[in-house]
Amino acid sequence: MSTNVLICDDSNLARKQVLRSLPESLSTDVKLASNGEEALAILSSENIDILFLDLTMPIIDGLGVLAALKEQNKQLPVFVISADVQPEMQSKVLALGAKAFLRKPIQIDVLYEHLKRHGFL
Amino acid sequence: MNAFDLTEDQQDCLQELINVAMGQASDQLARYLDTFVYLKVPSIEQVKAEHLFDTLNYESDATAIVSQGFFGYEGIRGEALLMYQPKDSHRLADLLGYEADELTFDEQIIDLSSILTTTFLNVFASQIDNQMSYSAPRLLSANIGKVNEHIQQQAFNWDLALKVRISYQVTDYSFNCDMVLLIPEAAITNIKAVLDRILAEF
Repeated sequence: MSTNVLICDDSNLARKQVLRSLPESLSTDVKLASNGEEALAILSSENIDILFLDLTMPIIDGLGVLAALKEQNKQLPVFVISADVQPEMQSKVLALGAKAFLRKPIQIDVLYEHLKRHGFL
Repeated sequence: MNAFDLTEDQQDCLQELINVAMGQASDQLARYLDTFVYLKVPSIEQVKAEHLFDTLNYESDATAIVSQGFFGYEGIRGEALLMYQPKDSHRLADLLGYEADELTFDEQIIDLSSILTTTFLNVFASQIDNQMSYSAPRLLSANIGKVNEHIQQQAFNWDLALKVRISYQVTDYSFNCDMVLLIPEAAITNIKAVLDRILAEF
């Protein structure tokens, strides 16, 4: 059974960077969203197993997505991938339920380490 | 579309490079001010030389402007201007709050601008396998005419300005500043080539 992945980032390049970094086991069924609103719409209509989420986005940002997921009590593994690397921001996203915070630009070895830690590899 | 215009993909690529650079500059700012900085999506706009000051829409006095030159490999160079709005200059003075025997406000705003400019451009450069050197930052006269004069005195003829509007919202205060990168013709062509190289990898 394949793992359904959602990548949410307002940058086309960043989405491609994440997609290209994913292990083969996670890259067969990938949905893309360019802001938090699109991501929440996909999450409400499809079964998504893992979300890679940017923070600084228009319409609804990453924090908004995390807050909405928390409010819905949705148990979804979220890996935040962001350029906003302030320690306080990292604490915030983890407090909102994210599994991990990864800094941009994404490093494959760091991504794999987190995926392994959370049972996706 | 002229030779200096970016394609949609080049614009997206540049935006992402700037986002990453801005994220780390904000982290430095947060540490410098010992506070949290809320980061917004930066707006990036290309402005023709003759229209730059029309788009900035600044008042002619009390605006703090810090200028710093940057020089990288492959002919990537330019002048970075950090421009603070008049109302924010006073907020910055409060935010930077210093004791009488410490730095003056002018010195502090030069320090702050240098941190923002060099952190931003160092991270930007590292993403394109480049490395930057900098001239000493200078606080320009608040008079917009003087700023114009300063820009005209640059060692290069710049044809296009890349205006990056960065909004820093700090926990207790908020201020906006524009980072304007003045880039000469040859450097624009080089930046476009770098962006194409990155895009080709995807």
